[in-house]
Amino acid sequence: MDIVVILLTVAGLLFFFATTVGLLRFPDFYSRMHAAGKGDTLSSLLMLLALALYNFHEANLANLLVAIKILLIVVFIFMASPTATHAITDAAFESGVKPWTKEPEEKS
Amino acid sequence: MIWQLDLSILTLIVICAFATIMVKDLLSAAIIFGAYSFLMCLLWTEMGAVDVAFTEASVGAGVSTVLFIAAIYQTTRKVGVRKSGRLLTKAVALVATLITGLVLLIAEADFPGFANPFTPASLHLSPYYITQTLHDTNVPNIVTSVLADYRGFDTMFETAVIFTAGLAVIAILRRFKKEDRCDIPGPYVISEAHPDTIIRFIARQLVPFIQLFALYVVAHGHHSPGGGFQGGVILGASFILLAISFDFKMVLGIMSERLNILLGNIGVLLYAGIGFLCLLLGANFLDYSILSKVLPATDTIMARSHGMLGIEIGVAIAVMAIVISIYFNIVSRGKYDKGL
Amino acid sequence: MDSFLIATGVAICLLLLLTLHRTIHGPTAIDRIMAVNVIGTKTTILLVIIGSIYHRVDMFVDIALAYALLNFIVTVAASRYFHHSKNLTSRGYGYRFKGGDD
Repeated sequence: MDIVVILLTVAGLLFFFATTVGLLRFPDFYSRMHAAGKGDTLSSLLMLLALALYNFHEANLANLLVAIKILLIVVFIFMASPTATHAITDAAFESGVKPWTKEPEEKS
Repeated sequence: MIWQLDLSILTLIVICAFATIMVKDLLSAAIIFGAYSFLMCLLWTEMGAVDVAFTEASVGAGVSTVLFIAAIYQTTRKVGVRKSGRLLTKAVALVATLITGLVLLIAEADFPGFANPFTPASLHLSPYYITQTLHDTNVPNIVTSVLADYRGFDTMFETAVIFTAGLAVIAILRRFKKEDRCDIPGPYVISEAHPDTIIRFIARQLVPFIQLFALYVVAHGHHSPGGGFQGGVILGASFILLAISFDFKMVLGIMSERLNILLGNIGVLLYAGIGFLCLLLGANFLDYSILSKVLPATDTIMARSHGMLGIEIGVAIAVMAIVISIYFNIVSRGKYDKGL
Repeated sequence: MDSFLIATGVAICLLLLLTLHRTIHGPTAIDRIMAVNVIGTKTTILLVIIGSIYHRVDMFVDIALAYALLNFIVTVAASRYFHHSKNLTSRGYGYRFKGGDD
């Protein structure tokens, strides 16, 4: 059981690291939004799953309730975080943020 | 007290605080202040103060940021650039700040140590609460029992202060006549916001569950972190979510201004009314043990627990109504026609 | 297992430091809204991690749920500002006097 928890947490941390690198290095708002919206949600889901499993090491009712509550947070983040991503991207498009295009090569 | 986490979160908080002051854009400063509030709540949780953290999360990081954004929407986003002040003014300000800081640091040296078990508060007061709460009031959450029972008078005035804040906002901002009596023009709107199907759908699905969760927080405040304030603020935040995803008029149709003020009054009256009921029955003001005469099949200890639940419900109703009222007034500039 | 959770918490805080760089240096306000959304979600995770370190998760889960809720509400409210007001930077659409030009 501990191995699964450690694996899931490390996977969540890896995705969050990728999210952060994407936030810093992508050239454009919309690509950064890809990184932030998707990577953030997935890493949160993985880490919360790991923590729900970690609390379930003794199988009694109180631990089951806590694990169900953590899964409730997972469901909520799964519903709300993509909606927030959509809201920000829609606001940026309405405000006129231009996507980044590659400059056309002038030579030859 | 995990020192590694303490240090890292404190670093983040200091950077957020600097960023809030230095950024030359009020909207960005308000948003970074929201992040500062989130991290501050995390620090308090890590120190073990979960009720304070819950209140900071709901009030500071949630509603306060939305109210800032609503105020910036109605006024300006530019930081007022003054001509640079004279050097003497800045020097005097710096000296005054340094002197105040030094005085505070010297006074702090006289305080007892951070977790010293021999301070008067830890020797005489805390052991009484820790040992006697469950025996006196049958409520496991010591913070709730101190807030609502042992120091219930203070909490009643806190609720009255919240109510007064709502009244002050109404008195300053609310305009009943049709014509505008001030010279400040409206915000620079290019077009009305188009109705967004995804946000409307998600908001409509989520709001019942958010309200159910808020009621759970109010009712479960005896056994877990929570209570009246936090539940009331989350209830108000659910209405704010409806107002920002749908139209402002739609939420006015659900929770009209008259009903809102009535609910605010009912909340404070419920709190003071329970205290007055105890007075009528023959005990002190807000002494809930006498309520066992009125409530069926409770002894004096359970009556205190039920009295606490009653006043928490009153606080929740009052806080919800005032949060909604302040948001309505700020975001529509008192005219209640359209908002964020 | 406790030390592993503390190490995870410190790692998340370090990565949040990098996210703060985007918060401070984001050229427009919308970049900052996006970065604060990430900070809010990660704070929820940190809350449950702190609860697991203290072996009292049942207290901290309610706060984590409230956090996720309020993060969502603040992000949607902040982006609604841009639906109405269309200013990406704060180049002074402040007090607009009646009769002024665009």
